[in-house]
Amino acid sequence: MEIPYVVTPRKDTGLFNSKIAIWLFLASEVMLFGGFFSAYVFLRIGADYPWPERTLPVLPGLINTFVLIGSSVTVVFAWAALKLRQWRKFQMFMGITVFCALIFMVLKGIEYNGKLQHQAVRLSDYSIVEGHLAYRTENDNLEYDHKGKKIEENKISIEASELSFSSMRFHKPWVSDILAQAEHRGSKIVLAEDIVGITEEGQASEEIAKAGEPLTVKLLERIRNLHLNARAHNVAYRTEALRQEWKLARATAGDEPDWRIAPTVNIDVEALRPRLIDEISTISFKVDPPARLDFRPRDIREGPGTSRLRDDSVVVGELLASPMVFENVDAIDFQFLAMRAEERGIDPEVAIENSWLLQNYPFAREAWVWHQGEVAKLRADLLERYGADSEGNPKRFPTHTELYRIGWKGLAQKAEDEGRAELGFGDKIKEEFFGPNYHARGEVTFPDLTVPREQVGFAAKFTPAWNTYYALYFTMTGLHGLHVIGGALVLAYYLFFGRAMFLSNPEWLANRVEVAGLFWHFVDLVWIFVFPIFYLM
Amino acid sequence: MADTPEAIRKSVRTYLFVGGLLFLGTILTVLVATVPMFDVGGHGFDIWDAVLGLGIATAKASLVAFIFMHLNHEKKAVYWLFGSSLVIVCSLVFLTALAMGDPIVDHLFYSGR
Repeated sequence: MEIPYVVTPRKDTGLFNSKIAIWLFLASEVMLFGGFFSAYVFLRIGADYPWPERTLPVLPGLINTFVLIGSSVTVVFAWAALKLRQWRKFQMFMGITVFCALIFMVLKGIEYNGKLQHQAVRLSDYSIVEGHLAYRTENDNLEYDHKGKKIEENKISIEASELSFSSMRFHKPWVSDILAQAEHRGSKIVLAEDIVGITEEGQASEEIAKAGEPLTVKLLERIRNLHLNARAHNVAYRTEALRQEWKLARATAGDEPDWRIAPTVNIDVEALRPRLIDEISTISFKVDPPARLDFRPRDIREGPGTSRLRDDSVVVGELLASPMVFENVDAIDFQFLAMRAEERGIDPEVAIENSWLLQNYPFAREAWVWHQGEVAKLRADLLERYGADSEGNPKRFPTHTELYRIGWKGLAQKAEDEGRAELGFGDKIKEEFFGPNYHARGEVTFPDLTVPREQVGFAAKFTPAWNTYYALYFTMTGLHGLHVIGGALVLAYYLFFGRAMFLSNPEWLANRVEVAGLFWHFVDLVWIFVFPIFYLM
Repeated sequence: MADTPEAIRKSVRTYLFVGGLLFLGTILTVLVATVPMFDVGGHGFDIWDAVLGLGIATAKASLVAFIFMHLNHEKKAVYWLFGSSLVIVCSLVFLTALAMGDPIVDHLFYSGR
């Protein structure tokens, strides 16, 4: 079957069909990305925390911009080559375009990897520490979990002696994880006592599970099914009893409105009890012998003797010291603390002086003193360069970020100023791509830090969980990255499989490449806005 | 759009020139954002930096759209399609701006205090 209007234009639109189709698609894409940009403006203006400015590495972003612009030029050259029926040139330019797409994605992958490994914690006084977490050790050796993985020093540990699960809400992967952890530590988790109950109406109480039976997901599922059956059975009786009571009350109440008689309508629980069967809402187990269980902080609300997981499981046992330990601190940020102090009419400098970090972490004090010296130099520089107004006040001031944030470059500068660590030019360029070089700069530049659990306000990797800036960053750059991959696959298809069409119908291939090229230019166009918005502003 | 071999050969030079302009525009954007000498408005990022940065980005995007995507000589149907989507996006941003200007703002309303 011949497909119409793939080479010649339609009379009504003046365009070949696929071109109309791609413009329709691009129109929808404009609205999609327009919605995200609008959300960005909305969230940035309304942010109740210091919006991160210029925190992403500019050099990889700049190179990626060059790469995409370059690929936009080569894709249009590839189309022109097809129009001139020059297959070799088409291959060369299209090959460069696809290679550019590959470079773009590799650089983006490096950038994402850095973010996903980087930890941040907001302390309860709103100071922020960034860096890399340490791994747990035992007798100076790295400790491994039941999966053979290193354990990051950001776990809530409990010497668990008892566990209870909600039969309705228990989360299977967590149960399996708890079981594996206990087994890894040579402990068993067994039923604390016999579970007995009436499982059918009119029957005697029977044994459902015996004390000492090991915890398994199957056991929990069996009890959950019994519980659900019992609930369905009992609810039916209770509803029926309530319906009867209501009818009776309604018949004797005359013209009384419903809302007046409602409080007097009650079920006779005692009369109903013989017909009900037993619901088993929780199941208790003991850990024998008691063993250390580790939980992710976001999954548990810890307490001194009893802690509760998000699935309503309860862990009984001594809460062990569960600090958050940084192997390398690479930024100390007082912007949020200063912002909150200003909102309350407190001098930010005083608030910072009283912060937990300055009171308990000598390195933070050292860094803060050094930073204040740098800020003083900056003030003098701005005064010299831009002068003062008629009242003698400087015309320009350091920004909030310059005043209250000591980033990794600041810490590196501090160590270099003190002559404690210096890197060559090549290593510094490498740092622009891969982030700070912890090994080369060492602990003098990026020292460790132990944050007691009670000081941890909120912690996350640099993921969408950390703040709305990163949520938007990952959403928009991720969606853009998917467009790059999709576009590159289509262009690569024409590059590697387009020869037959070039020989049989070169104009059709040229039109197809034009359409794919339009999409590719749009991908470039979106990045032209994404780059300054996320990397420079 | 260039369709004859001569016109295509001629337009290749235009594409190269526009590519150069895009590179220059990108360098200018980075200089404005990172080098104090090029910093407009007050010290650091402010509204003037945003206006200039987005202005350069818009100019670059227009070059891509008009030259690379051939919007400088397209058929009416394309202008209607693309133009209407731009109008919708501008309306969305405008509505967002309206929400920002809402005079009834109570930050404690949702906090329950």
